[in-house]
Amino acid sequence: MTEHPLLCVGHFLGAHGVRGLARLRSETEDPTALFTYAPLLHKDGTRLFSLTLKSADKDTFIVAVEGITDREAAQALRGEGLYISRALLPPRQDHEYYHADLIGLLVRDAEGKEYGHILALHDHGAGTFLEIGTTRKDSFMLPFTNAFVPTIDLHIGAATIILPEGWL
Amino acid sequence: MARSVWKGPFVDGYMMKKADKARASGRNEIIKIWSRRSTILPQFVGLTFGVYNGNKFLPVSVTENMIGHKFGEFAPTRTFKAHSAAEKKTEKK
Repeated sequence: MTEHPLLCVGHFLGAHGVRGLARLRSETEDPTALFTYAPLLHKDGTRLFSLTLKSADKDTFIVAVEGITDREAAQALRGEGLYISRALLPPRQDHEYYHADLIGLLVRDAEGKEYGHILALHDHGAGTFLEIGTTRKDSFMLPFTNAFVPTIDLHIGAATIILPEGWL
Repeated sequence: MARSVWKGPFVDGYMMKKADKARASGRNEIIKIWSRRSTILPQFVGLTFGVYNGNKFLPVSVTENMIGHKFGEFAPTRTFKAHSAAEKKTEKK
């Protein structure tokens, strides 16, 4: 249905009441931003979800889903994710990167030696850093700064790193 | 009970030597340290440390507002699992 990758912005937690309402958890930075995106798709991009907000509590919402009228059908939605096309995200600044764009990039140094892929981004209050490797078990961390990650090419899907001496 | 002021902040001795060496070299390096208990001092600002969390070295880029905290505060030892925000952005500095 869509040529852009899909991003998960929320998922259903289960039924609420007996009239087909569903509980929904938002996974956007601002929880209410979930309702600004349309269309909201199923994981395979084939099904559209049309939601009507009934009530809210922090990042959890009670919603009416079009076509769902009884509790059993609402309960069946439990665990289903809500996805949007990557193309719906607002354009980024030159120095900013969406985590969704960075995760999965191939990582290599200036000589072309490959170190795996970007597995995750972390920030524990002392600067953002990348987790790089083939699996979580053998991964290593590198600060997400120009000094250590000088170039990122999203078109070819690769990042160039400068590995400090003795870091691995 | 708070640490006595007359003692000054606690820092493992080898940290100062490593930090001085890294600053003198002028290269971009990450200083591997195991001392999570050491206090972050003003002379560490601008340096990047790799703080061991029992499993891996986590990069800690020291800034002014981290002075007085311990290195271990910035390298958690337990994994918090949660969904990350789909549209989360990060600035490369």
